[in-house]
Amino acid sequence: MDISFLIQLLLNGLVIGVIYALIAMGLSLIFGVLEIVNFAHGEFYMLGAVAAYFLTTNLSIGYWPTIALVTVGALAVGFILYEVLLASLRGEGFERSILLTLGLSMVLQNGAVFLFTTTPKMMLSPLTYSNVIMGDVRMSVLRLYALGLGIAAFIALYFILYRTQVGKAMRGVSQNREAALMVGIDPRSVSRLAVAIGIGLSGLAGAALAPIYAVHPLMGFSFVFKAFAIIIIGGLGNVSGAAIAAIALGVLESLIGGFLPTVMVDGLAFAAMMLILLIRPQGLFGRGVRV
Amino acid sequence: MNDQRMSGKMRAALVVIGLALLFAVPSFTRNEYVLALGVSFATFAVLSGGLNLVYGYAGLLSFAQVGFFGLGAYAAALLVTDVNWPVWAGALAGALLAALVGLGIGYSSLRLSRHAFAIVTLSFALLCMIISRDWVSLTRGAMGIPGLAVPQFNFPGGLSWRLNKPTDFYYLLLGLAVVCQAVIYAVVTSRIGRALKAVKMNEPLAQSQGINPLRYKLMAVTLSAFMTGLMGGFFVFYLTIVDPSIFDFYYTETMLIMVILGGAGSFWGVLFSSAILTVLPDMLRFTTDLRMVLYGFILIIAMLVFPGGIGGWFERRRIERWRKVPYGGRSAP
Repeated sequence: MDISFLIQLLLNGLVIGVIYALIAMGLSLIFGVLEIVNFAHGEFYMLGAVAAYFLTTNLSIGYWPTIALVTVGALAVGFILYEVLLASLRGEGFERSILLTLGLSMVLQNGAVFLFTTTPKMMLSPLTYSNVIMGDVRMSVLRLYALGLGIAAFIALYFILYRTQVGKAMRGVSQNREAALMVGIDPRSVSRLAVAIGIGLSGLAGAALAPIYAVHPLMGFSFVFKAFAIIIIGGLGNVSGAAIAAIALGVLESLIGGFLPTVMVDGLAFAAMMLILLIRPQGLFGRGVRV
Repeated sequence: MNDQRMSGKMRAALVVIGLALLFAVPSFTRNEYVLALGVSFATFAVLSGGLNLVYGYAGLLSFAQVGFFGLGAYAAALLVTDVNWPVWAGALAGALLAALVGLGIGYSSLRLSRHAFAIVTLSFALLCMIISRDWVSLTRGAMGIPGLAVPQFNFPGGLSWRLNKPTDFYYLLLGLAVVCQAVIYAVVTSRIGRALKAVKMNEPLAQSQGINPLRYKLMAVTLSAFMTGLMGGFFVFYLTIVDPSIFDFYYTETMLIMVILGGAGSFWGVLFSSAILTVLPDMLRFTTDLRMVLYGFILIIAMLVFPGGIGGWFERRRIERWRKVPYGGRSAP
């Protein structure tokens, strides 16, 4: 086995890991701030990809404007989602929030199947066949862009969470709801922003991956399954834990996929999650929990 | 008190009459559509009953039910086809496997939290679907295993029952459903059921009374997995084929809608809504996609407006009567 094959696998894994991270960080952020597990999260990733497909194919809008439009659109959808559905749940029933978002996921997914059919569609853009070649390693430009976008989104999220007032408020709420309320943080505006950011990241992930993989209404499904495993591995509500676990999973999956059958790749996320639950239930990077 | 006993007697009479009517259906009509609806009702009654036991009584939202169902189905189909086991043994093995997996999932995730349980069960259901599709050497992949054998039960004494007519499956699955419902009813009305409800309402308080929450929760999860797997193990021979679509999310969503609308934690409510929701959408001839969109909307509206479902509404009225004061606040969580 030559080293360039290994580097190739590593790079591909890194790209997919970064995309996992975008989805899982949003999921983890929403859980941390609102204590809601957003079961519809994968559908927003799917909608982001479908929106990108339509913008590029039907309206022939370029790559970067498409990404920007979809991300802004997803942020707006997050705002609306919070105001219309999630705000009324405040502090009430964890199961209710799951069932509510599950209902939303059913509507979005089956509605998309109805309108869009399940036939996977390839999105062609002028960049589809351009590659960057470094020695023996060949990398599609679109994958590199996706990687770059993912890293840019990390940095932006890090900056928001650790360098701005509202980011501090968000972390405060996720650490201790009552105490945050006591020092005058408005949980409503913080939650609204958290949901908007989470959905925005998901939409961005969809738009960035749309030109690389086929677009179809069930794509959110398989992704969100991994995102759930990732947030358990990283520690529920721990955003940076989710990012690290996501990248590790992407790279591992890619490496394993290079040598072993597909079943092993599919099972990896689940097996890792079960293992973590048994030996370190608070997640790799979680604070201690009572077991 | 007298009033209560009367209604209990009446209820028992109603159950007997209802059962007699259900078992008499094949002697009135041989219409395959009616029998298919009956089979579907029997199956969904057990699936939603199992979910109700876990979610309604133990308060654990499980998405793994469809996984148990398919696991039972696949195990039974493979054992009968590849190893030549008799059908009953295959189905029983499938049910035991489902129960074992349920125990494992429950144990690993419930130590952490209810949140983790919901997430892990969902991942498990999705994993089942993916594995059934990708582990081609075992499961034959997306093509599935078609043309399953006609089940035959050999009883001691040379008697045997070969299930080659729709009527036979109707009797078999209805009989199984009745047994499962009886078990569920016995559990939820027993001390175990009350302990489960106590844990759901206030875990620390229940714990302080000497109830071990984890043990009761695991019991509920395992029993429900066993029954769901058993039903899957027999239902698959009615389908005559098993493929990855047995893990379809459609089953999960239908079960959830039945439990939510019937009222989580209400035995009769869920049974009633299983019947209605089996017959009604089929008669209205919705396409599956649109039905799921509609179910999604129902779920959203139910969660926003009446989280207790129909059964929850009756329960609230009952509590109201007990208290003899107008019920003002929200229902207990």
